[in-house]
Amino acid sequence: MKNLRRALLILLALSMLLTMVACGNNTPAASTAPEEKKDTPPAAEPKKEFLIGMSQCNLGEPWRVAMNDQIAAAAAQYPEFKVVFSDAAQDNSKQVADVENFIQQKVDLLIISPNEAKPLTAVVKKAYDAGIPVIVLDRKVEGDAYTSFIGGDNKLIGKKAGEYVAKVLGEKGGNVVEVKGLEGATPQQERHDGFLEGIASNPNVKIIASQNCDWLRDKAITVMEAMLQANKDIDVVYGHNDPAAEGAYIAAKNAGREKEMIYIGIDALPTPDGGIKSVMEGRISATYVYPTGGKDAIESAYRLLVKGETLEKNVTLGTIEVTKDNAAEIYKQFGGK
Amino acid sequence: MKTDTILRMTDIKKSFGNVHALKGVGIELYKGEILALMGENGAGKSTLMNVLSGALGHYEGEIELQGKPVRISTPLGARNLGIAKIHQELQMVSELTVAENIFLGREPGTCLGFVNYRKMNNAAREYLDTLELHVKPNQQVKSLRVGEQQLVEIAKALSLNAGILIMDEPTSALSKGESQKLFQVIRKLSGEGVSIIYITHRMEEVFELADRITVLRDGELIGTVKTESTDRDELIRMMVGRTLKEIFLKEKSSRGEEILRIEGLSFFPPDYSSKRRLQDVSFSLHKGEVLGIAGLMGAGRSELFECLFGVHGRHCNARMFIEGRPVAIKNPADAIKHGISFVTEDRKKQGLVLGRSIGENMSLPLLRFFSRLVFMNRIKEKESWKQQIGNLKIKAPGAGTLAGELSGGNQQKVVLGRWLLTDPKILLLDEPTRGIDVGAKAEIYQLINKLAKEGMGIIVISSELPEIIGVSDRIITFCEGRMTGEFIREEATQEKLLAAATLREVVKANVN
Amino acid sequence: MSTKRLEDKLNSGLAGKLGQIKVPDIIKRSQSFFGLILVVLAASIFCVRDGENLFLNPVNIANVVRSVSENGIMAIGMTLVILIGGIDLSVGAILGLTATAAADLMMHRAFGFGTTVIAVLLLGIAFGFFNGLISTKLSVQAFIVTLASMSIARGLARFWSGGIGIPITYGNEPNLAPQAYGILAERIWGVPVPAICFLVLGIIFSILLKSTRFGRYVYAIGGNETAAHLSGIGINRVKIAIFTISGALCAIAGMIHAAQLSQGSPNDGIGYELNAIAAVAIGGTSLAGGKGTMVGTLVGALILGILDNMLGLKNVNNNLQLVVKGVIIIIAVVLQKERKAD
Repeated sequence: MKNLRRALLILLALSMLLTMVACGNNTPAASTAPEEKKDTPPAAEPKKEFLIGMSQCNLGEPWRVAMNDQIAAAAAQYPEFKVVFSDAAQDNSKQVADVENFIQQKVDLLIISPNEAKPLTAVVKKAYDAGIPVIVLDRKVEGDAYTSFIGGDNKLIGKKAGEYVAKVLGEKGGNVVEVKGLEGATPQQERHDGFLEGIASNPNVKIIASQNCDWLRDKAITVMEAMLQANKDIDVVYGHNDPAAEGAYIAAKNAGREKEMIYIGIDALPTPDGGIKSVMEGRISATYVYPTGGKDAIESAYRLLVKGETLEKNVTLGTIEVTKDNAAEIYKQFGGK
Repeated sequence: MKTDTILRMTDIKKSFGNVHALKGVGIELYKGEILALMGENGAGKSTLMNVLSGALGHYEGEIELQGKPVRISTPLGARNLGIAKIHQELQMVSELTVAENIFLGREPGTCLGFVNYRKMNNAAREYLDTLELHVKPNQQVKSLRVGEQQLVEIAKALSLNAGILIMDEPTSALSKGESQKLFQVIRKLSGEGVSIIYITHRMEEVFELADRITVLRDGELIGTVKTESTDRDELIRMMVGRTLKEIFLKEKSSRGEEILRIEGLSFFPPDYSSKRRLQDVSFSLHKGEVLGIAGLMGAGRSELFECLFGVHGRHCNARMFIEGRPVAIKNPADAIKHGISFVTEDRKKQGLVLGRSIGENMSLPLLRFFSRLVFMNRIKEKESWKQQIGNLKIKAPGAGTLAGELSGGNQQKVVLGRWLLTDPKILLLDEPTRGIDVGAKAEIYQLINKLAKEGMGIIVISSELPEIIGVSDRIITFCEGRMTGEFIREEATQEKLLAAATLREVVKANVN
Repeated sequence: MSTKRLEDKLNSGLAGKLGQIKVPDIIKRSQSFFGLILVVLAASIFCVRDGENLFLNPVNIANVVRSVSENGIMAIGMTLVILIGGIDLSVGAILGLTATAAADLMMHRAFGFGTTVIAVLLLGIAFGFFNGLISTKLSVQAFIVTLASMSIARGLARFWSGGIGIPITYGNEPNLAPQAYGILAERIWGVPVPAICFLVLGIIFSILLKSTRFGRYVYAIGGNETAAHLSGIGINRVKIAIFTISGALCAIAGMIHAAQLSQGSPNDGIGYELNAIAAVAIGGTSLAGGKGTMVGTLVGALILGILDNMLGLKNVNNNLQLVVKGVIIIIAVVLQKERKAD
């Protein structure tokens, strides 16, 4: 019985390993491009298929799930593109390993949304120096060892949010609590700085408390509960993303105080649990479309890889303010169901 | 009237590996009688009762209950036949109440599946009243005294409609008053037709309670006598009389000067410990002398060794003199430094690291000696190992064999080898031949002889009386934590030793 | 009776024959090596693309050994702790704390390379000593003590840096990190420095376990604490020493981590303790204590790393990777139990 058990276990391990690697996203069969690609001049026969590696930092955020979905949807339009995804679950070391694996697989293009700027800079540079074009989405790396950065203008969004708040609160002014994103991420800093600029016009608007929720709704509930306890007089909750605003709303509702304040968010995803719906249902007062840039990344990829064009170093995507007035329309426009 | 046979066990055989615990034992129990079951340690009493209570499962032989043959293979099966065992270590759930314990697993329920506490408590009260135990059914068991807990166990047995009650050393943890109360209950039950098998070492109880006495020895039935027609001496003769199968080459060794003296040793174990308290033990040991310590299991002999070896630290108080000089031994390292070696009773649990090799096990107390700076000196070790393996005739492929793969005898030799490597002045041997075949036993006796001749002071604990008489120059006896007797070899007999081990009086020896 | 006949039938069938293949004793004893060879073979075979072996090339191998180094160094300490029957759940948190400390000392307090290394090592040692002291003198189970110090270390780290990561930039000014520290992120002749550290420490502690007095203490205490006590071994001293060593090794891993990511972040290292324990378990060390080797752990860490690498190169879904890892751990541990029954 003991021998039998051992044999079964070994067989189980082997078969599991086999299925795992077989089910892995196998690379396409030998492409028409010869192995000495590097040596042939650019005018040689173009590749028929391109492998794109997308390194995501944290699929725990719905916004990033949307980013990946948009990339996949856009890539579906181009039969020559095959995209493989990796998720680092907020671990810098893991994301470094993910990018190294892509380099090993000699991907034709690397798209990356880095967890933090500094830890990922070196490995992105490695890819770039190895001849792999790099498109950086949403969060920046340091230096300029990348082909193109596509991101929203977080400062602008923050400023618009601040201006909205300044207008809504009027002369009386009011108290703002800020539910911030992940501390080390550039969007967080920029949304904060932009907001400060936006409220500068109204000296009676003050930020009385601010805590990080790392972009996550459940963390937002916890930090908001603390801020509710500590501050009896709150007029506005400025969440750095919609989950932050939603979490704050839930916390306020649990304390019976949700009607005392208005909630501002950012992202405006056209999903059933997204910010636009929330505005339509009256929880969030204003949110700002923060485009993931997924579609733009694939478009840029097509221009670079297939058409051979040069890309702009920095592409800034615009934003739209979503309030009760235009929520339903925007929802339909972005294909919300 | 008290001659209806309710239980008959015939030709019961049971072996554990090579050990034949029961070699064809039969007993007969009358309805309503109190039958005492007696015998030395290892005679087979517990094994026989375990067969009867279903704890052992497989056995050879027949059991008849009220004339009908039955097969008892599980405790539940025994219970269903009306056989209940009250264990020496009480099996209560201390956090639950009295009633909950009595009806454990059989709680009366309401139609919805909840426990019907009122019904349960009332039923429990009935049994408690029968036993005149004045505790509340909804009291937690842990708040009761041991004596009361024991009566709760009896109540449980009664609630199971036990016709046969087996009680194993029930008074070992009871006070005089509680014991008396227990006896009253037992007599009452016996009067109501419950048959009781009462295992004990205590002669007074046997003569006070039992109708008849069955004596086992070495897994065999020696005989059954009526209490009123027998006496102490006859019982002891029945329990002990055996031919000395082992030959002891005990040579007359010259006793040297005093090497160890203990005065007023007492040991107060902490509350959570199950160890025996020691009171005012004093004795001395000489060079070249083998001192035997006789007594029943649980008398406190191992605890004595542990105290001598510093295992119990500050719980143990004694004035100790080695070679005439006072010493304080606070931990095993101290003891080793003073030349004391301790071969424990349970070589697997306390002596050997079963997953490591023979050699590593032997080196354990001497790691500093066998190392240079931090690195082990394998060459030095290997030499010592070879020496010991050869001297002790340890049968193994090599010093690298894992200790767990050896036979009991060889394992014991490894432990001996370890301690002999430390070149001790005083060697403490706790049941050195337990669980070992006859051939290896003889080798160990020879070894003890040799070491004594070389001037080592040796103290041996053994529960086998012939062994301890054959091996020792002088024997002291222990009973329930006190030293109760001292005998020189020539005057010691098994009967005298057993009497001293079971008596509460102290016997002085003629030591010259 | 019928189940026995069924067993016999199965045993004589193909599966039974497979299991009865006379595995030479040397493979039985070094079961973890066997596993390593299996995994390397699997990776070499499956990770091929366009005729090129993605796995078996120097760059990838270098990546793999570098990525296992931190976990491997922590697993060395964990091996010792598990061998004496304990466990250390605080290793990930100490890594985060020491990484943060290193970055802060160099960037904000003008510490040099040598002083940083010493200070951070002392920090790790202090935590390890704390773990050892509380678990022995106050008789608190290692699980609980290290769970608590995990929380303490994490909190301290976050408090120290204000919750953010401290970036490390090299230079000569006092508010920049000493260039020498950068060596922890470099490669020497293609071999990543962390891997060299891992290898050196691995060798040192293997020798410690196998050939020194201290190693005997460890196995004795883990195998039978009573027997060890009765042989005069100072149990508490050894236990405290082992926890201290674990803390020190975490500090080393923390410094490497900070150099690799060019930042010391208090949020790093979350969950690393499980990887360390997995490496130890796969390497054949029993979590009950007393049984296992350092070499086994080194191999176990490598197996984990190669597995991660192989699954990553094949772009297996991240979540499935976690599933695979979990199942492999169970299988490895059960196979080790089989070995004991042999």
